[in-house]
Amino acid sequence: MEEQSQLAQYLPVLMLGVLAVAFSFGMLVVSVIVGKKGKRSPIKDTAYECGMLPIGEGGGRFSVKFYLVAMLFILFDIEVVFLYPWAVVYREMLKQNGGLILGAMLSFLGILFVGYIYAVKKRAFDWKS
Amino acid sequence: MNLALLSHEWLVVALGLCLLVADLWTPASARRILGYVAAAGLGAILLYSLIAVRPELQPACGNMYVLDGLALFFKRFFLAAAIIVLLMSAEFFDRLQAGIGEFYALVLFALTGMLFAASANDFALLFVSLELITVTFYVLASFQRTRLNSLEAGVKYLIMGALSTSFTVFGIALVYGISRKLNFNDLAAVAPQFGGNRIFLFGLLLVLVGLGFKIAAFPFQLWAPDVYQGAPSPTTAFLAVGSKAAGFVLLLRVLFVAVPDITAQWSRLLIVISGITILYGNLCAIPQRNIKRLLGYSSIAHAGYMLLGIAASAATIANTTQNPGAGAAAVLYYLGGYLFAVLGAFTVICLALRHVENEDIPALAGLGQRSPLLATTLTLAMVSLAGIPPLAGFFGKFLLFKAALAQGPAHPAYYWLVAAAIAGVVISLWYYFGVVHAVYWSKEAANLSPISISRTMRATLYACVAGMFFIGLCPGPLLDCAAEAVKALRL
Repeated sequence: MEEQSQLAQYLPVLMLGVLAVAFSFGMLVVSVIVGKKGKRSPIKDTAYECGMLPIGEGGGRFSVKFYLVAMLFILFDIEVVFLYPWAVVYREMLKQNGGLILGAMLSFLGILFVGYIYAVKKRAFDWKS
Repeated sequence: MNLALLSHEWLVVALGLCLLVADLWTPASARRILGYVAAAGLGAILLYSLIAVRPELQPACGNMYVLDGLALFFKRFFLAAAIIVLLMSAEFFDRLQAGIGEFYALVLFALTGMLFAASANDFALLFVSLELITVTFYVLASFQRTRLNSLEAGVKYLIMGALSTSFTVFGIALVYGISRKLNFNDLAAVAPQFGGNRIFLFGLLLVLVGLGFKIAAFPFQLWAPDVYQGAPSPTTAFLAVGSKAAGFVLLLRVLFVAVPDITAQWSRLLIVISGITILYGNLCAIPQRNIKRLLGYSSIAHAGYMLLGIAASAATIANTTQNPGAGAAAVLYYLGGYLFAVLGAFTVICLALRHVENEDIPALAGLGQRSPLLATTLTLAMVSLAGIPPLAGFFGKFLLFKAALAQGPAHPAYYWLVAAAIAGVVISLWYYFGVVHAVYWSKEAANLSPISISRTMRATLYACVAGMFFIGLCPGPLLDCAAEAVKALRL
């Protein structure tokens, strides 16, 4: 019974999904049935008034260094993400097991520090090389 | 919190980080030495583990982490495997264009994941350790960046690995959603009352799917041959031994610690998967021309043999038999023999096919004359994998079949499973001896120059041969260890 009621809670979600699919298909079907049909030519099929002529690659090329920067950003961003909640509960936790909470963060920062040294020595921060 | 229990993991992580930093100040020509340093460090940790560490009854990290006999058995197993893999990679290093120090460090980080997997007593730690292993293997598999095969292996492993991860994590979410428990011991207490809940069972099934990918059991085996073929040989060796064993220890824990009551109902499912995996692996290995691909299919078959032991144990939960742990202990024993045979075979592949682009079996022609030591090791490895006495593989298969036959009177399906497994063994003789034939009797040998083998590689090969003979001829010590280790399971 419990299983049934849990699934029943998701019924609105299912209904919304069905409605979305039915609506979008319905719109396509209606536009085919009642829409005006004219002659098609290659020029008519190009984008005009609302876009640019598709020339060249879809995605522009940019330096691979940006990926490196993005990766480093994520790495050290996560560090800060972990530091905030840690700093918030630090005073409270200090009473029970202070050594643990300090040691956990220090070992985490230590591992990241090794990563920092690695990035520096591999010249990941050196934009011009 | 008892952080001292995590000593293996601390030491391996520290070693990996030191290696990563040391690599930055080491000139390129001296980087091979780092591999030997790492192997020596792991040797010291293994020695420390054997001498100073005893199974602990107290769990650590809020009952997430246990250091029982099973965990210690697998930790030592992983350490031994990683030592041989590191020595192999030190030999392999001239074929890596860049990042030799990183290769060693990644092997150590994958090892850390395996060490955590051996101790996982909680779905959260199970998931994290599994991810640590898989993510490092994505990089290790695609390490030869200029070889197309290696990149293909990396991408395939990434896609299949991500898929299996999503199955696992979805399964864990369903299990947690129904039972509100992540810890295996807590789950074992409440699991019987959810035995009829379909969402709960579906969640567990998805977790099994994720672990099935790791051990390459049918029908989740498709990635194995491609990845085994394309990845660098040391990575393949570590994947075949370490990653598979990590899958098995997690499988044992989930099936026999977390949900033993449900496992008892699933013995038929395990029988079917095991039988098909054995037949699939062995039949598909026959037409292979590439030796690493052949070993990939053979590793699927071996996963099937070990699942046979797990299926045999699953039946013992429901009915009381004299020796309930026999099946699981046979799996552990079998893994011990498998370690030396597979690592021996891959060390030979690494050395003998050094200058060949593709590791095809005909390239092994004339190995018997080029290097008797390599030829003997490869032959013994094949014979052991095929399961011919007196080598380790024979006694392991014997124990697995015996454990399954003991369940035969209650469930006749086990007789059929053993019949399928014996058919698989007979089929496997064909392709294993195809390799031996190429080594000794092939007439196509183009290159008969002798192969020089460094002293450390010589020692590694001797160690693998000695391991195969020792486990086969004196099964007592390892069998006692295995029987002791499976006491941690609820059989």
